[in-house]
Amino acid sequence: MSTLAIPVDDNTSNDPTRRAQLISGDASLVTVTDTVSHIVEQPQPPLGWYVAFGISVCVTGVFFLLIGYLILTGVGVWGNNSPVFWAWDIVNFVFWVGIGHAGTLISAILLLFRQRWRTSINRFAEAMTIFAVICAGVFPGVHVGRVWFAYWLAPYPNHMTLWPNFRSPLLWDVFAVSTYFTVSLVFWYLGMIPDLATLRDRARTPLRRTLYGVFAMGWRGSARQWHRVERGSLILAALATGLVLSVHSVVSFDFAVSQVPGWHTTIFPPYFVAGAIFSGFAMVVTLMVPARAFFGLKDLVTIRHLDNMNKIILATSCMVGYAYSVELFIAWYSGVHYERFAFLNRAIGPYAPYYWTMVICNVFVPHLFWFKKWRTTPALMIIVAVLVNVGMWMERFVIIAISLTRGHLPSSWRFYSPTWVDIGMFIGSFGLFMTLFLLFCRFLPMVAMAEVKTVLAHSEPHAGHA
Amino acid sequence: MSSLDQPDSNGTYWRSLGELSGSPRFREFLEAEFPRELDPSGMSRRRWLQLMGASIALAGVAGCRWPREEILPLAVRPEGRVPGEAEYYATAMELGGAALGLLVTSRDGRPVKIEGNPVHPASRGATHVFAQAAILELYDPDRSRGLRQITGSDAPSREWAEFSAFVDKHLQPLRDKQGEGLAVLAESSSSPTLAAIKARFAQRLPKARWVEYEPLSDDYVRAGAIQALGAPYRTHFQLVDADVVLCVDCDLLCSHPNAVQYARDFAERRDPVSGNMNRLYAVESGYSVTGTAADHRVSLASSRIGGWLARLEAALAPRIAKEQPANGEVEDPVLSALASDLVAAAGRSVIAVGPGQPPAVHAAAHRMNQALGNVGKTVVYYAVPDPERPGHVAGLRDLVRDVNEKLVTTLVVLGGNPVYNAPADLKFAAAFAKVPQRIHLSLYFDETSRAATWHVPRAQFLESWDDVRAYDGTYTVLQPLIAPRYGGKTPSEFIATILGEDPADGQTLVQRTFRESFGEADFATKWQQTVHDGLVAGSQWPVQTPALVASQGTTMPDSPGLAEGKLEIVFREDPSAYDGRFANSGWLQETPRPLTHITWDNAAILHPATARKFQIEPDTLVRLKHRGRELEMPVYLLPGHARDTVTVTLGYGRKAAGKVAGDAALEVASVGADTYSLRHSESLYFDVGVEVSPTGKAYTLATTEEHHAIDSLGKAAREERGRELLREGTLAEYREDPEFARHRVHHPPLKSLWNEWSYEEGHRWGMAIDLSKCIGCNACVVACQAENNVPVVGRQLVLQGREMHWLRVDRYFWGDAEADSPPVSHQVVTCQQCENAPCEQVCPVAATVHSHEGLNDMVYNRCIGTRYCANNCPYKVRRFNYFYFHWDLEKPENEVKKMVYNPEVTIRSRGVMEKCTYCVQRIQAGKIVAKNERRPMVDGEVRSACQQACPTRAIEFGDLNDPDSRVAKSQAAERAYAMLAELNAKPRTNYLARIRNPHPSLDKTEHEHARHTG
Repeated sequence: MSTLAIPVDDNTSNDPTRRAQLISGDASLVTVTDTVSHIVEQPQPPLGWYVAFGISVCVTGVFFLLIGYLILTGVGVWGNNSPVFWAWDIVNFVFWVGIGHAGTLISAILLLFRQRWRTSINRFAEAMTIFAVICAGVFPGVHVGRVWFAYWLAPYPNHMTLWPNFRSPLLWDVFAVSTYFTVSLVFWYLGMIPDLATLRDRARTPLRRTLYGVFAMGWRGSARQWHRVERGSLILAALATGLVLSVHSVVSFDFAVSQVPGWHTTIFPPYFVAGAIFSGFAMVVTLMVPARAFFGLKDLVTIRHLDNMNKIILATSCMVGYAYSVELFIAWYSGVHYERFAFLNRAIGPYAPYYWTMVICNVFVPHLFWFKKWRTTPALMIIVAVLVNVGMWMERFVIIAISLTRGHLPSSWRFYSPTWVDIGMFIGSFGLFMTLFLLFCRFLPMVAMAEVKTVLAHSEPHAGHA
Repeated sequence: MSSLDQPDSNGTYWRSLGELSGSPRFREFLEAEFPRELDPSGMSRRRWLQLMGASIALAGVAGCRWPREEILPLAVRPEGRVPGEAEYYATAMELGGAALGLLVTSRDGRPVKIEGNPVHPASRGATHVFAQAAILELYDPDRSRGLRQITGSDAPSREWAEFSAFVDKHLQPLRDKQGEGLAVLAESSSSPTLAAIKARFAQRLPKARWVEYEPLSDDYVRAGAIQALGAPYRTHFQLVDADVVLCVDCDLLCSHPNAVQYARDFAERRDPVSGNMNRLYAVESGYSVTGTAADHRVSLASSRIGGWLARLEAALAPRIAKEQPANGEVEDPVLSALASDLVAAAGRSVIAVGPGQPPAVHAAAHRMNQALGNVGKTVVYYAVPDPERPGHVAGLRDLVRDVNEKLVTTLVVLGGNPVYNAPADLKFAAAFAKVPQRIHLSLYFDETSRAATWHVPRAQFLESWDDVRAYDGTYTVLQPLIAPRYGGKTPSEFIATILGEDPADGQTLVQRTFRESFGEADFATKWQQTVHDGLVAGSQWPVQTPALVASQGTTMPDSPGLAEGKLEIVFREDPSAYDGRFANSGWLQETPRPLTHITWDNAAILHPATARKFQIEPDTLVRLKHRGRELEMPVYLLPGHARDTVTVTLGYGRKAAGKVAGDAALEVASVGADTYSLRHSESLYFDVGVEVSPTGKAYTLATTEEHHAIDSLGKAAREERGRELLREGTLAEYREDPEFARHRVHHPPLKSLWNEWSYEEGHRWGMAIDLSKCIGCNACVVACQAENNVPVVGRQLVLQGREMHWLRVDRYFWGDAEADSPPVSHQVVTCQQCENAPCEQVCPVAATVHSHEGLNDMVYNRCIGTRYCANNCPYKVRRFNYFYFHWDLEKPENEVKKMVYNPEVTIRSRGVMEKCTYCVQRIQAGKIVAKNERRPMVDGEVRSACQQACPTRAIEFGDLNDPDSRVAKSQAAERAYAMLAELNAKPRTNYLARIRNPHPSLDKTEHEHARHTG
């Protein structure tokens, strides 16, 4: 085989003789710091940020108003009925929790697998995780009929001498999602400490110096402190790895442990986890492509990073597609006509358009990523990523709401349609997400500077050698 | 009247110190403390004041230091009465001129629940939907609250004194003229007291008119009896003795004045084990409850039924004479089977014809019953009082004519609502307006009242002393459970007042009639016994044996060929509104009508093929044009409905019913369409020549079950799993394999993940529902709503699928929806109280837990409303309070509605899940009584509301640990099965498979016992 003539600038090639450059351009320790810190330090963010932030805040305001309306009036303002007791509320919850999984996977699992390309995107993705979990947590909080007693879900000593019911998957959810949030937050924060210290040291105003200083917790950059951060990260990575697999499994138990045809299947844990990673990465790509262009991070988050993420999207898409077919097979093989019907109903029943949107977006569209052009062109990959998220939302709707519309007894079959409050709150949750995210972009280091510096060409112990 | 207004005779209550100081007791006290000899001038002012102050302070009666108020209006507790405990009083409800004996539960002096009177022959402990909903009518805030005098658009309230003055002033001249110009328009009533008063009325005012009118008239029944028997004898059926029953356009089990009794009698013969199961044939145009219970049903337009019956009569004749049937005529197989059945069961068969068929058809049935030898055995005749009474329509027509000729100056309307429900062509409303003085006695300030000059509030039957006869003539007494809230009067009291009788109160009038009927001897004891029992035992009318007047067949009216493009229109009593009088009942409006499951509306019901013929789509409005009048209403496509016929129900589109059903003055939209506007006096129940055309306007009916036109996948699934959920077979199948129901579904042995609880100690509550007996009449649904304070949610929420009924009746159509008469089955579904409940495992806050006796307890105050339990319930019996459903109670004018709630059952707040509890409040009450009496519980002591209301006794409930209990025996029956048993939920409710009894020549079903479904 002839040697391939690979242009030096293209870092998406896979030449076994030469490690691809993860950071392009003429990157040095100084340029990395400058590029990332500059975004935070500019006295006025660009106009585009203000516009986006303004819109997000308005949408968030609408979100909270709708929540208030919901709590004051009742769950009936949504489209839920009997038998569809869970609909957009829980679909949105699972959607947002799923999206969060990408960040933790990047932070934790890719750390353990020593995938050095994770360093450019892990901060960003982990932030996305935390905000997604916040958005996710709102929905189960407000969807209960009596929100003011939601604290009864917590196992606290009380005068009723009553514990919650530990057999219930909803309670496992409470523990899983709160653990997930806590660990993700701690992990994200821990890794951010060196970068916050950088910002503290570069801060020009006393306010910034104080605030960054407080959160930098006295970081001096000593070897001992570096050692602790790295150890801490490894431990948390080990914990968080388990969480990536367990949290969405536990969320899937909400459905798998029940007896509803279409829910009651053991494939749900791996299927949901794969789907979560799938949708999470799609969301990272959707956010990263404009962000890197807007904030000038193209050298730090290179095409190779995007390419790698798209490959993961493709892989998880195959897993999800496989899971769909296994579900269908097992439903048929089981011989239980309720199960068979549940799946046939999705495909050719009254809600078939939702099902087919899901299949096309999740199973077929991501196969465009076999083509390098699609994987490496930002404008094209964002189309696929958005469609993947649409498809994944549809998947949760298909699983949750459509299965409920037609249960065991035909006398209870009912159609479901969302109300404006359902739709408003879904859009509102995006508002909340984007508000938090834009604040993150403005005030916190979007890229893990300290970690990126470890993967620069300079840092290579054998840099310079052939 | 509250005792607060009356000075207490004991002098133990006072409201001011001044009163106290003036009271005789205080003076006595003073005397005792300070003898008269004491001279106040001898002491200082300060000392004097001290003494007086101390006296007043110490004068508190019986040593109390602060004012004593009576909370209860009783100073001495009446014997045997404990506050808060229920008491039961016998009374009755009259509907369609016949009484249904009732036993009403009263708590703290107000009635809260209606049950059937176990000793009354018409009910024998059961009720129909209207009786169950009567409690809400009693406390309806829209009831009229007092007298009103109407002039133009003004209708100010008036006092009784003013009305009495008016009566005296206005009626005196009428009395002088022997009642000329006075007319009374009454509802049909079998009240002997009213009859006696009517007689006195006729005697005192011989020139006055007394007209009886009822929109659901029995005119044709009477005319048919006159035609066949010479006088309007009442036909009564002994269904217990009937092997074969034929219902000809007759909803005998649900819409007949004596339906509750007939349903019970019919169901008693529906037992496949006994070996002599009856067989029911039905021929009808609409799909009625009786049609669903039938073993064979023929779907035929009402106008063609006469001809069909003529063919049956022709087929009977040779069989009775034991000759061969006439050759050359191919007989319809059903007709043939029916004819041979009737003849084989001669003397043990019944042919019943509904009120909608013309007199000739009734006459034919009388002839056939005679020919078959049923008369005196399964068909008995009674001579009803007042046989000379003209028919309802004829009477009303004459009255309108007299009014138009200005022969009537004063019209007293007793109950009813003729301005609303008179046949349209009589133009009653216009005539009514011409009468100078119009007085309407009515429960509501309704359409007729608003057109009258005086409105008088009527006492509802729960507030009345009255008497009435059951369908078989049993003398039944009504006693009031509560004093008339708004000072209402019964028709008897009202006419007595007008006649100037004194005393004119109900009790005196009824006692007078009682004395006249049963003699003066031993009056007090007999009266006491009668009021206690609710009836006089053995007082039914004597059976008559009239001879046929003309034994030749009078010509049956030719069933006119339904011309192209024209249909037949059929008017029917509405299962919820009756004739419109119950339209304002939220409970009844929300009860899904049998078969169509429509709520909050009435519809034009068509066969799917007929709809297609006229390009009528489902979920749209259609326009009906009949005899020059038009009406738009929603359409409903019902499989099994007769082709070329449209059925509409009466009682909707009201403009002055109340805030629930429609009030034009308050701008409340009317519920449904006013089909009385199409009704013609010459064809009260059906007529040919209506045009039905699509309007293209979309309209969705609020039904509680998905409309039948669903996708083919859903349809196939519904049929397939329907056969597993509601198992049924023919009698032949049952005889071959009594356990056929258990073999419909095979599943591997069931194992549970947890250690299962043993329920062998104590009580083990269970329920058995016999699907052979359930006819789908909905009495249980309304009974449950009444007993358990289930909220009414309204049309919009029913459309969204949020109705709150704890108990529902599922209905399944079998086979091809386009067939002439697909069979229908009903299944009552409540919480199955599963031992291995899926709901309990998934509630995160443990708000739904299991009791030691096997009940699934829903703990309302722990529920936070995650709704996981409802998702996990495979039977979908849980209901969620999506909103706060009791806002209406916050309004001061609805204060009275608070009295309808059963104080034993919590009212649920928003955000909380609820479901059937096997009436745990009744179970607990029963256990407490048994415990206090230190004895074990007796089977039948505790009955759930649904069980008690059911006319056919399809629901059995009780302790499964008691081997002699009816429910234990039912669950041990061979045809008992559990729904969705393969899920290992271990439901405590079992169903007894429905057994149909088709004629052997018509039994085409494959025997399924050899076929196993996965």
